Amino acid sequence: MLGLSVLADSGLEHYRGSFRNPAMVFPLLSSSMAIGFNGRRLEKPLSDEKTGPLVSHLTSAATGVVGLGFHLYNVMKRPGGLTFTNLFYAAPAGAPFALALAGALGSTADRLARGKDTLGPIHLTSGRAIGLLTSFGLIGTVAEATLLHFRGAYHDPFMWLPVALPPVTAASLARDVVDDQPRQITTSLLAATAAMGLIGVGFHAYGVARNMGGWKNWRQNLLVGPPTPAPPAFTGLAIAGLGALMLMKKRRKARG
Amino acid sequence: MAIDPEQTPRAKNGRAPDVMTPGGWVSMREYPENEEVDFVIVGTGAGGGTLACKLAEAGFSVVAFDAGPYFRPLEDFASDETEQNKLYWTDDRIVDGDHPIKMGSNNSGKAVGGSTVHFAMVSLRFRPEHFKTRTALGYGVDWPIDWQDMWNYYDEAERALHISGPVSYPWGPKRGRYPLRAHPLNAAAEYLARGAEALGIKWTETPLATLSAPIGQSAPCVYRGFCVTGCSTNAKQSVLVAWLPRALKAGAEIRDLAMVGRIETRNRRCTGVHYQREGEWHFQKARNVVVAGYAVETPRLLLNSANEEFPDGLANSSGLVGKNLMVQLNQAAWGQVDDEIRSYKGPPSLAISEHWNYDDDKDFHGGWSYMSQGPLPITWAKSLAGGRNLWGQALIDEMARNNHSVGLKMVGEVLPYERNRVTLADDTDQYGLKIPRITFSLGPNEEAMIDHATDFMDKSLEAVGARERWKEMDDTCHLGGTARMGFDAKTSVVDADCRSWDIPNLWVCDGSVFPTVGGVNPSLTIQAIACRTGDRIKQMSARGEL
Repeated sequence: MLGLSVLADSGLEHYRGSFRNPAMVFPLLSSSMAIGFNGRRLEKPLSDEKTGPLVSHLTSAATGVVGLGFHLYNVMKRPGGLTFTNLFYAAPAGAPFALALAGALGSTADRLARGKDTLGPIHLTSGRAIGLLTSFGLIGTVAEATLLHFRGAYHDPFMWLPVALPPVTAASLARDVVDDQPRQITTSLLAATAAMGLIGVGFHAYGVARNMGGWKNWRQNLLVGPPTPAPPAFTGLAIAGLGALMLMKKRRKARG
Repeated sequence: MAIDPEQTPRAKNGRAPDVMTPGGWVSMREYPENEEVDFVIVGTGAGGGTLACKLAEAGFSVVAFDAGPYFRPLEDFASDETEQNKLYWTDDRIVDGDHPIKMGSNNSGKAVGGSTVHFAMVSLRFRPEHFKTRTALGYGVDWPIDWQDMWNYYDEAERALHISGPVSYPWGPKRGRYPLRAHPLNAAAEYLARGAEALGIKWTETPLATLSAPIGQSAPCVYRGFCVTGCSTNAKQSVLVAWLPRALKAGAEIRDLAMVGRIETRNRRCTGVHYQREGEWHFQKARNVVVAGYAVETPRLLLNSANEEFPDGLANSSGLVGKNLMVQLNQAAWGQVDDEIRSYKGPPSLAISEHWNYDDDKDFHGGWSYMSQGPLPITWAKSLAGGRNLWGQALIDEMARNNHSVGLKMVGEVLPYERNRVTLADDTDQYGLKIPRITFSLGPNEEAMIDHATDFMDKSLEAVGARERWKEMDDTCHLGGTARMGFDAKTSVVDADCRSWDIPNLWVCDGSVFPTVGGVNPSLTIQAIACRTGDRIKQMSARGEL
């Protein structure tokens, strides 16, 4: 889900930037690859294919990190450097982070499916590592939404929702991770955040309609309006969070 | 169905154009001519249109007249500079003096909404000292309004216009957050920014009256770039789009294609106005008359209304009606760069430096600011032909290099001189009214400011690698000063509330009340004054002082 959101969003935005830097195709390639491998994992959870997924997840993570550098460079080279206007309109500094997250989550899913307990030094089966990663991911995504909704001057009150809800979700998840105790409220919050990500597409579609010419002028307004593929990033992360909770519950049950 | 809005009035029969929807109408209250309305307002621009809204919302009966057509921006505005000349006041006028003013695009409008229909949307506040130039800076004349009072009304005007501005403004006292975020910079604006940084002065994104997020039925700006020939998307918050729909909703009547020719008085009070509409002269009765025709048409109407009671014209016991005409300096520096600039993309003035409004270490009086520029093709051709004497093939060749031209343009303060003035000529126009004679000359102070500003802007361009630089020395913009506000009846035409000293139910509300013009574009200040006047009238009415 996160991979899909990244593919569509970076595809749209990098198309808008006319792929002026050839490196701008990389996130498309790597997120496509991630979707492919993760999709296959869904189909055949017990496949013992190793190299392909591993390369894909590493590529995702690397592309994300390198992309972060590129986007920061794009902000800093503009007059004024680190100003609000550049953060609003230059390459979004936080966006490539989502790809790195997709890589990390994909690797985790792989290891777990193969019955391995660890990813490097990190223990996975407890669900706590994934939970923590998801919390951080949510906070990063909130930061992006906060910045870009501020750029839109919160002209619609619903624009506060993705700024207000996910931090509560992230905090609740982090608390569960720290206490190693999954709570019902966290499950509800994660479910609400997942739903919000999907509903957000609808709001963004409405936002596109409010641009000159509305959806009749979709070829232009999809690019200048609020990004329709962006909100499901919340959904992807929330689902990962639910997975982490499940793992935590499972382990508690096993311990009896 | 297609009636010509320049020939036939649209605001009639209980309805006015809904500017937000193609072919749409909104209902409009109409007042009979023999009913004495609370306020007749002559002009629907930054002063009159704003005041019409404020007074109607305060519960007064208001009829606002405009000599121009009621345009529908979504349908009537073409991406064509020549077609859009229809927005300017190009009736007969005589200009003279040492530096005759070019009347038209930069300083007039003949349309409902006035010149805000084609203004560049630059919405700046005066610096506090601009309201007290005599006592604080030693030149010009003080305003009878305090800057702190104005700060509140600037807030109100900025909220009403949903100004898109920087997150924090680098000059002057603290102000509230602009309602919307600034627009992205175009290449021309980036060149201003880099130049300012190279010279070690501050710059910022220009606060503009065009939307950066959807508001109501207005879509955000699409950066079409035809702002100064009329925005066809309604992203621009002109008076036509921002204030007048509110005025209509609150019960004001707007009469388009209605030229007011004379204000009638009896027993030293106004009784109403004579106006021409559809070829006939009419008379509208009124308890109060507000003149809001800007710095040429306002004194012209006051002078043309001379009668036995007021042989020198209305509100003119001081003899100052028409005097102290000011423009603003609009000189520019240009150059060529390797980068593709395409400066006509987006609003023309996306970046600004007000450094020289706040730095008083200069060897002349007054302040100036400068902004990035984005001339449309015909305007650019005129600049090249007039500023560099290019013609024929040479002009064509230079036009072809326009995508790499970049420039900076000043808005500079001109001091008030009584010799610069609007008087009446003997010729008459299509309405049979005496036309204005506009006499204007620059003084040594203005020449010094022009030298300072064009040198500085040239240095800024040089610092960012512009070559083949040249200076455009002959341009002015904006007007002010011909019915100045002041502290007493001897030295001014109106008081701080825009009420004339001589006739208690005659008001002036537009740029002509400015005692000094400051070093920034005036439209926001005119609207802030109109907001203040509206509030003051409401208070005075409640106290029975009208």
